[in-house]
Amino acid sequence: MKTQSRQRFASITGVALVGVLALSACGSDNNAAAPGNGAANAADCPTGTLNGEGSSAQKNAIEQAISDFQATCSGATINYNPTGSGAGIKQFIAGQVNFAGSDSALKDVAKAGSPSIEQADADKTCGSPAWNLPMVTGPIAVAYNVKGVDKLIMTPSVTAKIFNGVITTWNDPAIAAINPGATLPAEAIKVFFRSDESGTTENFTKYLHAAAAADWAADPAKKWSGKGEGKEKSAGVANAVKSTEGGITYAEWSYAKDNKLGIAQIDNGAGPVELTGEAVGKAVAVATQSGTGNNIKLQLDYATKEAGAYPILLVTYEIVCSKAKDPAKATLVKAFLKSFAAADEQAKLQAIGYAPLPSAVQTKVASAIEALS
Amino acid sequence: MTTIDLASDARPNAGRPDAPGPNLGLGLEHRSRGRAVRNQLARIVMWTAFAIAMVPLAWILWSVISKGGAMLLDSHWWTNSQRGITNRVVGGGAVHAIQGTLMQGLVTAVIAVPIGVMTAIYLVEYGRGRLATAVSFMVDILTGIPSIVAALFIYALWVTTFGFQRVAFAVVLALVLLMIPVVVRSTEEMLKLVPNELREGAFALGVPRWKTVVRVVLPTAFSGIITGVLLGLARVMGETAPLLILGPYTKNIATNLFGGLMPTLPTMINQDRTEVLQPAVDRVWGAAATLILLILILNLAGRLIAHFGRPKT
Repeated sequence: MKTQSRQRFASITGVALVGVLALSACGSDNNAAAPGNGAANAADCPTGTLNGEGSSAQKNAIEQAISDFQATCSGATINYNPTGSGAGIKQFIAGQVNFAGSDSALKDVAKAGSPSIEQADADKTCGSPAWNLPMVTGPIAVAYNVKGVDKLIMTPSVTAKIFNGVITTWNDPAIAAINPGATLPAEAIKVFFRSDESGTTENFTKYLHAAAAADWAADPAKKWSGKGEGKEKSAGVANAVKSTEGGITYAEWSYAKDNKLGIAQIDNGAGPVELTGEAVGKAVAVATQSGTGNNIKLQLDYATKEAGAYPILLVTYEIVCSKAKDPAKATLVKAFLKSFAAADEQAKLQAIGYAPLPSAVQTKVASAIEALS
Repeated sequence: MTTIDLASDARPNAGRPDAPGPNLGLGLEHRSRGRAVRNQLARIVMWTAFAIAMVPLAWILWSVISKGGAMLLDSHWWTNSQRGITNRVVGGGAVHAIQGTLMQGLVTAVIAVPIGVMTAIYLVEYGRGRLATAVSFMVDILTGIPSIVAALFIYALWVTTFGFQRVAFAVVLALVLLMIPVVVRSTEEMLKLVPNELREGAFALGVPRWKTVVRVVLPTAFSGIITGVLLGLARVMGETAPLLILGPYTKNIATNLFGGLMPTLPTMINQDRTEVLQPAVDRVWGAAATLILLILILNLAGRLIAHFGRPKT
């Protein structure tokens, strides 16, 4: 009996091991349509693995950048987990990741009820200053679904009133006044908001607070303070508007585009501006820099009256150590960020709902990346 | 089925006072009709409950297979990883995640099974008095630990206290915590089923206790133990909380348990679950179907071993 059971056990273990080995033997990481892109420069192509974590708003952009970088440098592996800006910063400070993605730069002041300062903690983990490098801008679309209305113009005040429930029907005189010629139906406006805590909500309410302070009194926050019905994540609000006649929400540009929703033009006082990469670039160009040297923290001017600038947007950063403890990782970080910030890569990202950095910021970021070591 | 002729049949219990026997003029056939009605009622309630329980099960299976089944038919699904694939592109496979899930499951079993089986042997064959009660009580507590608590415990130990990186082995440790009680309980049940006469027979021949356990008790309970192990394995392989906390996802094939990230099927599902673009949505369903399939195979293997591996006594 003993030998029998021993044999049985051996055969079971054998089958399991063979199964795992068989899978690992024929598994392949090579998904390239054409083998190799040829002229990969060895100097620009370090090998190794980087782990990053953070903002989900930049997930699509960074995955595209990773895919392109790895296609050129087959020996490099970059992992990015979109767990949210807050989680990304925490893991960066805990030394668990090589870089963090965040919708807002590291804060220089302590949050209420917490003794720790993000920037100081990150510097301490790095053993050198941690730098915030703006990498892509994610415009936030005011997306709607109203039959027969292809073009909708919004002012900050009307937007604020719709999202805090003061204006409740589509044919309200306030909307009609700024949309001459549009046939607005007499149906109720159904507002959808992000029920989870989100950088998108924070930036959208920052805009409302800055551009329409009289109509939006609540302080900007990751948690929604207006009216409406909550849905989880960008996909949730976008889906809700898609399936609800008379619905309106705020969401990253890519979600509005992918769901084929109507996108409002924003009139900050200098005429209606359609959401385009160029219009977003203009708004980023007028932002002021609050960081020092190569630590590039942008202060957006949401109330800007710059002609042709689309003002509702968020800038997402990559947070890195200026002097990495491991030189091999530093080379890899440098090479990856260089390819991410390159003009042709940035132009590519516009097709998937991001706006490229304006050239002035791009130059600054490029010189900061060069200074990484 | 036999409702009509209840009153007149001669069944073994017809002589019992409350059984519907031959008519004694006591109104018994009337009473038996009431019983028949109740019997039917109970039958209807039972079948309805069964049908209600089956609805969500069939629904889940149907929606997962109809939406993700097609992915499994693509040969690349079983040979390629997701490296370099974005949510806009069709292609790539799940081999990296399948391999990660199997590897973590296997290593978990290698650690948890000996500990679990030995504990069960102690409890059934040796354990008397306070220590045994305490161990049994601890196993009960372990059984009740939510997976997220096990995950946070390992996180606190591995990352916060020791300052290590999050690696696959930390996930394995959390899964071990979840698997041990399952193995202990199922093995304990199997060992208790071994007839005492076998043990007494061995003792009577002067066989020492440890030899009795190794040569008589364990082989008799072997197939049951293996079934329990496989069911426990199926449970931990579908576990998600430890993976979310300790095992970040990667699109690349990874085989190192002690360095770097290791992808698994649950984290692959989580990574793309909020996507709206079709290629990514298809992959989420595909990964879900694959996970169900893996666990189904494990469960079937468990049942087969239980069926064919029964000792011939």
